[in-house]
Amino acid sequence: MSTRERAESVRFRIRLLLVAMLLAFGFLAVHLWQVQVLRASEFSSSLDRQSIRRVRLPGIRGRIFDRNGTCLADNRPQYCLAIYTEELRQRGRWSRTVDKVDEVIDEMALVLGIPRQVTREDIQMHVQRRLPLPFLVWRGLDERALARWAENDRVFVGVDIYVEPERVYPLGLSAAHVIGYVGRADAVNTEDNPYHYYLPEMEGKGGVEKTADKRLRGRAGGRLIRVDASGFKYEEKGEREPVPGEDVILTLDMDIQAMAETVLINKPGAVVVMDPRNGDVLALASAPAFDVSALGSQTAWQAVLDDPGRPLINRAIAGQYPPGSVFKPLVALTALVSGRVTPATEVSCPGYITVGNKPFRCWSRRGHGTLAMRKALEQSCNPYFIDIALRTEYKRIYHMAASIGFGLPTGIELDGEAPGLLPDDEWKRRERRDAWRPGDTANVAIGQGALLVTPLQMVMFTSALANGGTIYRPRLLRGKGGTDGDFVKRMAWTPAQLAVVRGGMHDVVHAEQGTGKRVRLDGVEMAAKTGTAQYGNGLKHAWVILYAPYEAPRYAVVMMMENAVSGGITVAPKLRELMQMLLVRDGTLVAPPSIPAEMDLDVIEGEADA
Amino acid sequence: MRDKAIATAFKQLRKSNWLLNGVVGMLLLLGVLFVYSACYVGDETEIRPLYLRQLLWIAVGLVCYIGFALTDYRHLKRFEWGIYGGCLCLLIVVLFCGRTIYGAKRWLMLFGELGIQPSELAKLGTIVLLAGRLSEPARQLHRPVELLQVLALVALPAGLIMLQPDLGTAMVFLPTAMVLMFVAGVPLRYVGGLVGIGAALVGFVLAALFLPAVLGAGEATQERIASLSGLSDYQRGRIEVFFYPEKDPLGAGWNKRQSEIAVGSGGLKGKGYLRGTQNILGFLPRSVAPTDFIFSVVAEEKGFVGSVTVLVLFGLLIGCGVWAGLLTLDPLARLLCAGIASLIFFHVFINVAMTIGLMPITGLPLPLLSYGGSFMIVMMSALGIIQSVYIRSDRRETYR
Repeated sequence: MSTRERAESVRFRIRLLLVAMLLAFGFLAVHLWQVQVLRASEFSSSLDRQSIRRVRLPGIRGRIFDRNGTCLADNRPQYCLAIYTEELRQRGRWSRTVDKVDEVIDEMALVLGIPRQVTREDIQMHVQRRLPLPFLVWRGLDERALARWAENDRVFVGVDIYVEPERVYPLGLSAAHVIGYVGRADAVNTEDNPYHYYLPEMEGKGGVEKTADKRLRGRAGGRLIRVDASGFKYEEKGEREPVPGEDVILTLDMDIQAMAETVLINKPGAVVVMDPRNGDVLALASAPAFDVSALGSQTAWQAVLDDPGRPLINRAIAGQYPPGSVFKPLVALTALVSGRVTPATEVSCPGYITVGNKPFRCWSRRGHGTLAMRKALEQSCNPYFIDIALRTEYKRIYHMAASIGFGLPTGIELDGEAPGLLPDDEWKRRERRDAWRPGDTANVAIGQGALLVTPLQMVMFTSALANGGTIYRPRLLRGKGGTDGDFVKRMAWTPAQLAVVRGGMHDVVHAEQGTGKRVRLDGVEMAAKTGTAQYGNGLKHAWVILYAPYEAPRYAVVMMMENAVSGGITVAPKLRELMQMLLVRDGTLVAPPSIPAEMDLDVIEGEADA
Repeated sequence: MRDKAIATAFKQLRKSNWLLNGVVGMLLLLGVLFVYSACYVGDETEIRPLYLRQLLWIAVGLVCYIGFALTDYRHLKRFEWGIYGGCLCLLIVVLFCGRTIYGAKRWLMLFGELGIQPSELAKLGTIVLLAGRLSEPARQLHRPVELLQVLALVALPAGLIMLQPDLGTAMVFLPTAMVLMFVAGVPLRYVGGLVGIGAALVGFVLAALFLPAVLGAGEATQERIASLSGLSDYQRGRIEVFFYPEKDPLGAGWNKRQSEIAVGSGGLKGKGYLRGTQNILGFLPRSVAPTDFIFSVVAEEKGFVGSVTVLVLFGLLIGCGVWAGLLTLDPLARLLCAGIASLIFFHVFINVAMTIGLMPITGLPLPLLSYGGSFMIVMMSALGIIQSVYIRSDRRETYR
């Protein structure tokens, strides 16, 4: 090979080399086209996936008002101090940033003169789990601490005031059972949760807060933030404002509610006041009550849970009691409707009645003599009602009670409502392994035996007596406009039949020896029925059902007290007090010149009804 | 006398390849701009003014560039052993006194924080020696003994660098040497054989790493066979995530994945200068963005248009080098040009290919764009040699 040939061959090889190199660059360019142009959106979304975080922003919870516009549940700004961790970020290991935050909190505690609320573990948790969000190191600052902060806020970098809504109940204990309370909602940790940082909202845990939770909550919004490779916030990309929750207006009248709670004086019992014209619940009180605002700590909770008075139970809807004599108007109406008994049907009361071979005593040992229905209601005569119940046959009483709504929850907008118990043959065979006997009918006729009712069911029935036979569902939430009640059904009671029962209840109050004479108020006619139900070893629950005014009733009231002497003695005077305040308030009565006459305890003995 | 020397120098410089000068200038400018972009948001205050230090390196590089352009490249032949030997010495010294950065002893600290990387110098030193030896007319290039000598000269620095350990830099020696042999006229069967041996080595390593797992061998067996490859855990990790990217996305796979996202999300036109999200947010680690991953920054901020522009500029650069080699009639000059052009080519190709996920991550910088002093000086010197060849390519006396 000559030198020249060799040179030529070398030149050829160099050219070949250049072509190969340029082809390789061409290959790179083609690949770059694929990556940068054809797959650009795929990589852009990868980028967003790793750098964009969605934060859920809960809506502000709606408020709760009573029918007069009194606020029952409100949101108050709670002043917090938040540390924005990205501004305290330290280079190097994570623990250095945690140390720095720890140090700043210590300095702040010194300056503000308040103890630390977060531990080092909390800081670590925040750094690991929700780094781009403000870290709340103090909640619920008082004015003193706020003032100190205002003097020193320039000293601390990356710390700022943060306002968080706090649920408050301005009226404290009042209507606590109805309003309920809230807690932090559990974060949803399911697959379809699209948020990286889920800020839970307050969630109703009881009462109307729970049943109207959907309306109160509103709709959560969200915020997009871009974070850097370490997870600190870099910028905000956008925000969708949360929609605040709706306000909820209750049918309650807090004045009446307060009166009801006053007369209960925190002794176990319940008062329900309902408007018989539409089923609006004006007051629903249960005693003893609890103070939601004081339930902040675990120990306070435990104390409430351990309280033997069981203050968390709403006795007005969840308490199931034997009704005793307040059940008798129902027996009377059923008897009249059946046609087997007329208002004039007379029964003789020798002080007892024998059913099967078992004697049932009347509360009056001497007996009432011969009496008809109106008088029997006034005197609450047991043999009379046992007699007509046996004539009427139990199935009719059962159906009447069931169609009024006994034995089932009324459907009021509260959870935890109890159904009560309306026994029948099938129930007895199932539970007691025995057939229904006349003795059972006799027991139910006087509101005893297995029969259980709630105060709310009782007020629903009282309303129907007051308004001429219309059953309304007890209603707590006011709809949007419209004050018509939630009509359930009209009972097939003729005015004549009703007139007898109503007349008897009128006499309970107004007759000389009426069992409910202690309810009597000058200047207004009312109708009532007392009841005293025995349970266990001589313990008694005392009832009064009442509606007023007699001719055009605006109030149907039930008052029940546990462990009382009797309806006529224990409950009636308290109910009188309540009715007086109630009727003075709406102008039916003028304010009394003096306090009610003191109770004459000597006459108790003979008047305790069964 | 002095005036005359300066006049000669100007005359020579006027004869230099102005396309090459222009391309070098543009690449250097791009380098400074994107090194700035890669660092300007960092919290680390010592990284932010990196572009200023890059300007300093460029100044030193330009001195070398002009110096080598004005110097007759044939003087290199006289010092070839000295240069080569010096590089070897430095490579040995760095193994004992070098500073360890990212697990490898690469740096030889000279004045305080100012250090050099002997491995970068050795790249050029080896090319100079090989070009000198392969261009000697008396060489019988078809004799295997000659080839073995050449291979030994390459293996010596490459082996020392592997000890640092810096596999990427060591690996670049072999293809460059093969290109030199190819251009020098070594019979194709030898070059082909070497390529075959190289491929077999790669195949063996990959088989050692992955075959046992594919065949379902136990953990211990896998580990024992994998250790036969002679790679460190770190190196194995990089190769493993190249084949199985989902294996360790937050560790060894992080840079590869983030670089791909940066390049891909750049799209056709890019996000705009200083607007590279991956880089600003630190997903592309700030320690590598201005150096090995500078191409990702360009590609993200300037898109496909920007990355192709960079490729075209490098194509022109290599073209100028090869052109100088074609113009000259001196075999030494030809081999120098071919060697330097291929050195640039392999760096560009491997660097770009790794940023878009076509090759495993290796620590090879992008010539003239990446931040780094030693490589900048070596590259500018090498390009100066090409200019030196170009300026003297019309001399008849070299042709015998």
